[in-house]
Amino acid sequence: MRRVQSSDACGRVWVFGDYRNYFKNRVTLQLIARAKDLAGKLDTGVTVLLLGERVHQWAMEYVAHGADTVVVVDLPALKDYRAETYSGIMSQLVELYRPEIILGGATRFGRELFPRLAKRLDTGLSSDCVDLEIDPSDRGLVQITPAFGGELLAEIVCPNRRPQMATVHPGTFKELPHDASAVGCILYPELEIIPDERVEKIRSRPERDRETRLEDAPLVIVGGRGMGSKDQFETLFELADLLGAEVGATLPAIQAGWAAPDRLIGQTGRIVKPKLLISIGTSGALQYTAGIRGAETIIAINRDPKASIFRMADLGIVGDGRTIVGLLLEELRKRF
Amino acid sequence: MNIVVCIKQVPESPKLKMDRDRMTVIREGADSVINPLDCVALVAGVELRNQLGGEITVLSMGPPQTAGALREALAYGADRAILLSDPVFAGADTLATSHVLAAAISRLDVFPDLVLCGTHTIDSDTAHVGPQVAEELDLPQVCAVNEIFPEEDGLVVKRVEDGVLETLRVRLPALLTVSKELCAPGSLSLGGLSRAFSFGEVTCWDHRDLGLEPGEVGFEGSATWVVKLSSPPPRSKGEIVQGTSAVLCETLIRKLESLGILDEESAE
Amino acid sequence: MKVKQSLVSAHHNYLVNNRVIPGFVMGDPGSKGDFYFLADFVLPGETTPRCSGRLFDEQGELLVEINWNRLGENPGNCVYRPVRGGFQVVSGAGEVLVAVRTQQFTNGYLTRLQGRAYDRSGSLRMETDGDNVRVDEDELAPLAGPYLEPFSGAARPADAS
Repeated sequence: MRRVQSSDACGRVWVFGDYRNYFKNRVTLQLIARAKDLAGKLDTGVTVLLLGERVHQWAMEYVAHGADTVVVVDLPALKDYRAETYSGIMSQLVELYRPEIILGGATRFGRELFPRLAKRLDTGLSSDCVDLEIDPSDRGLVQITPAFGGELLAEIVCPNRRPQMATVHPGTFKELPHDASAVGCILYPELEIIPDERVEKIRSRPERDRETRLEDAPLVIVGGRGMGSKDQFETLFELADLLGAEVGATLPAIQAGWAAPDRLIGQTGRIVKPKLLISIGTSGALQYTAGIRGAETIIAINRDPKASIFRMADLGIVGDGRTIVGLLLEELRKRF
Repeated sequence: MNIVVCIKQVPESPKLKMDRDRMTVIREGADSVINPLDCVALVAGVELRNQLGGEITVLSMGPPQTAGALREALAYGADRAILLSDPVFAGADTLATSHVLAAAISRLDVFPDLVLCGTHTIDSDTAHVGPQVAEELDLPQVCAVNEIFPEEDGLVVKRVEDGVLETLRVRLPALLTVSKELCAPGSLSLGGLSRAFSFGEVTCWDHRDLGLEPGEVGFEGSATWVVKLSSPPPRSKGEIVQGTSAVLCETLIRKLESLGILDEESAE
Repeated sequence: MKVKQSLVSAHHNYLVNNRVIPGFVMGDPGSKGDFYFLADFVLPGETTPRCSGRLFDEQGELLVEINWNRLGENPGNCVYRPVRGGFQVVSGAGEVLVAVRTQQFTNGYLTRLQGRAYDRSGSLRMETDGDNVRVDEDELAPLAGPYLEPFSGAARPADAS
């Protein structure tokens, strides 16, 4: 069993604990895992900030997944996620404990809260990072994020201000397994809270359930502009049915109306980590490839031998994806 | 209702030239347009103004040629355009950019009832500036709004927040960032465009007009620095095959077989 | 700013003073006749809490002893009543002395305690507060593992679940 001494009660690498839609939205757990690596290099611990109403069970989950400390502010006024109120509370906690790093998921709410909080703390923020490292020379956080239309990776640092803040796209890191024997430290600060009532919720209802389960699929087929037409794109669904795969699409294919927007793979869409990803008629823009880096094996089919998708493919097939999919479908129909 | 719309001029083409010393984009010479989501904000602002009266002021921080984007905004129906341009503003991150925009808004003769921004820009996609302007001006914020209904003492807005459709009542003054679903930017009449280009007046403010010190804006006032730009590393040394479609399909099938994808149970 | 600090287990916690805690002791479980309450640490694999205590009434008369969720000495003719997710100990007068209810969620367990108990001098030591129990913070000793100190009641059962 792991025991936490009270002297290091509040580690200096922080993660914002977003427990909404817990079973599908694992970004907090993924960030805890990465934060543990970073904290190890800084000789400190990982602290999760947990704000809301009746949130005890999530504190337990975060400890089970690697958090050393959970800071809990449990009040009815915090039931709804509001950037104004939350940034006010978090800035008080930052003043109290002086963290080095604060990480959050690049969810809609994360992208609303973190800029506001960074401004209040007068510090830097980088968005939608694809990797985070510690620079051994100055122990600063190196935030790696796609830049300039996705052509390049930028390394961003925040040398003169603290904390260093970053949001990370869900699916970028891998969560640690649940450890029921873990014991962590829990802190309950008694804060003065003035809830910001300038924005009031009138009603809310869940968006209709998304039909695709791309994030969890072991086999993903992605079609791009090279599929040429909606009819040709449809053949990917047939192939997916035969192989037990899910279908994703790149931005050009979605803009052409060949696939629903919720199938978008990439930095602004879904990030997938299948065992095998087959990428057909996609050129390999970084906006897209940021979403498939976690695939174990990538097979790419493209007519252009110079297509950048081949740089990350384990098997690159230089040919017309439409013809090859057609032949493959014929062969598979014979087999199954 | 007095409305401020913050816009940014962005390069039309995604291929950019870099200033490798400062790690920033060279905007000069590139074909530039108003960031598409900022156009949505502008059109939404014009609709609200037409419905409720008041004035629209458009703000943009950028080099002198940003005046072109501001004249275009006048053609969309804005009443007044202010260019925030100064060599010391160059190289700003979102913290420093939002500082300049907030300073300009608080220097207006009449503090606005509503500040509108696009949710994010196509060239940097951080989505920071809206919330950061709201924080500096102590305004409530709602991001990625896709519907706006005026009410007597505020606005009712709708948006999608992490899988939940929300309807919110917002007290004014407030800042909203708008998503592309809000409305499609209408096409401009040529008359409107030429009128804007001949008569449209763009006021220019520098750091002195805003009462700001050079050290709190631009590169100097930025918290984050880009220290390295690189092409993404190749993932692996993969095998590249060429040949007839039949041969390629055979290669693909063999690969799928070697990965166990075509085993019988996976066909379920 | 005041900050309250305690431990939290990934597997099972009690809710006391509106905070989670993996286990705690009030009073001295080793004493022969004084008030105590022990909410013992629950190890992974176990799914029920382990509560023991010696509870008195307002006059300082012994009502009941609880040994690992079971009644021991019972001069107050208290009644053990199983309820969903746990049990209650009800005094002869019909008052709930202790209610223990465990709820399972996600991957863990949370036990809510309620009740009203006095010590030998007739001072109030625990009292229901909403969905959990309020006790004096200074009298609460947290546990980070199973209680192994001298104990006047029966030995800890191997597995109560």
